[in-house]
Amino acid sequence: MSDLPKKTFVVTRFDPDQDEAPRTERYEVPCHPDWKVLDALNYIKDEIDGTLSHRWSCRMAVCGSCGMQVNGEPSLTCKQPVSELPDTVEVAPLANFPVIRDLVVELEGFLEKLKQVKPWIIRAKEKAVEEGTHSQSPAEHAEFKQFSMCINCMLCYAACPVVANEPEFLGPAAIALGHRYSTDSRDEGAAERNEIFRGEGTVFSCSYANECSEVCPKHVDPAAAVNQAKFNAVIDWATGLVLPRGGRE
Amino acid sequence: MARPAHPEAMAPAKPGRTRTAPPHRPPKFPMQGRYRAYTLFDATGAVYLLMGFGVLHAVRTLGDGEVAWQALLSGWAAPLYVAFHLLALVSVLFVGVRFFRLFPKAQPPRIGPAKPPPGPVILGMLYAVWIGVTALFVGILSGGIFG
Amino acid sequence: MKQLLLKIEPVVWLLFGQGILIGTILLTGWILVVNLGVPLGIVSADALAYDRAHALASNIVGRLVLLALIVLPMWKGAHHLRSLSIDFGGAGRDSVVAGALYGIAALGSLLGIVAVLAL
Repeated sequence: MSDLPKKTFVVTRFDPDQDEAPRTERYEVPCHPDWKVLDALNYIKDEIDGTLSHRWSCRMAVCGSCGMQVNGEPSLTCKQPVSELPDTVEVAPLANFPVIRDLVVELEGFLEKLKQVKPWIIRAKEKAVEEGTHSQSPAEHAEFKQFSMCINCMLCYAACPVVANEPEFLGPAAIALGHRYSTDSRDEGAAERNEIFRGEGTVFSCSYANECSEVCPKHVDPAAAVNQAKFNAVIDWATGLVLPRGGRE
Repeated sequence: MARPAHPEAMAPAKPGRTRTAPPHRPPKFPMQGRYRAYTLFDATGAVYLLMGFGVLHAVRTLGDGEVAWQALLSGWAAPLYVAFHLLALVSVLFVGVRFFRLFPKAQPPRIGPAKPPPGPVILGMLYAVWIGVTALFVGILSGGIFG
Repeated sequence: MKQLLLKIEPVVWLLFGQGILIGTILLTGWILVVNLGVPLGIVSADALAYDRAHALASNIVGRLVLLALIVLPMWKGAHHLRSLSIDFGGAGRDSVVAGALYGIAALGSLLGIVAVLAL
């Protein structure tokens, strides 16, 4: 272990019981060439400072738990190799989120936004079991598949300048998920979601930064979803001008 | 340390059981890394707004007669106007390229029964229209067509 | 005001989107010839001599193009400046800023319609 080259990790620390505001601490960490940033954080917790708090789980970029700012960029720490980083690595909690402690951010605001878009199949009348399953062709599935790959890691929220400045904005992942369901051939709730998309959390707040898609580790491309959702919301609004609400479907 | 975000950014409806530190902005925002292009993209709004009023002024001047019109055109040769219009040209090109890059993926997978063409085709069509209309416009305005 | 802004959002977004798309496409040629080419002598001054310019402008297609060149960039500009204001911490003052910017664009659009009709 001692022959391994060391990197300096400058980690944001915050204990609400003791600290007025977040501060940083420096740790010298001997880094194995194959390590990811998460390995270094776990080394710090195991060997240097057991008080460090951070979220992690799967270690393979599918659970979305370990998102943090690494040298200013939102990253999954289980995915980001240490070898690609300079000798000093800054690790901070995700931007745009309130911080509970150290590298752990408050998730509840995000979960509330997710719920707002009604992320489930909405049908006027559920199909009876005797009627069998829904059929969906590969082409129909392809229309929304990429938007279903979101792991709720919230890197997109950390990158979005609108999230930083407009608290009511639904945000990339929530809109992408709502759009995923509206585009699902089994769903009949597009009109309902378009109302939500034009409400307080308005999709039109998106100002084309495209940062969400740049940082997404699963190539969901939430920017595409948000902008498609704007288009659909406008079509819905325009047809609503011509046809009364009750007259549709 | 990065600058603060809106104090209620990503805040839950009800506060949690412990005191939280306020959210901070993405550290590279607004003028570092990729954010610089984004902020400049927004800033081109000033150029477009001024250009809109510039064209309005030109149309009104055209209605004021020959002398006023000639004065307007020769007035635009002044260095300040040339600099602004060069900036406007750069802004327009920058906006076009950035927006066209986004446009194909912003099309919904289906509008009723109709599917939009594949992304690269849409992109090609956009550039073809941009170049074609510009060429036509330049041709007409410079006297080459309908001269 | 906030509710009004939410209500008009689809219209503003359409105008903004066309401001970028159509506005950008038309402005390129306009700037090249009218703002730079003729004033700098790169394009012959005869091309935009008064009689010819007026004839082109008062043609029905000319009027529509000029209207697009006036209205669409204004809405693109207003909306983007509103975004810029919010980007720099202006969520609190957004109602006022948006109202002012969209008001300017609306006024300019109205003046544009009048000017184009008066040609």
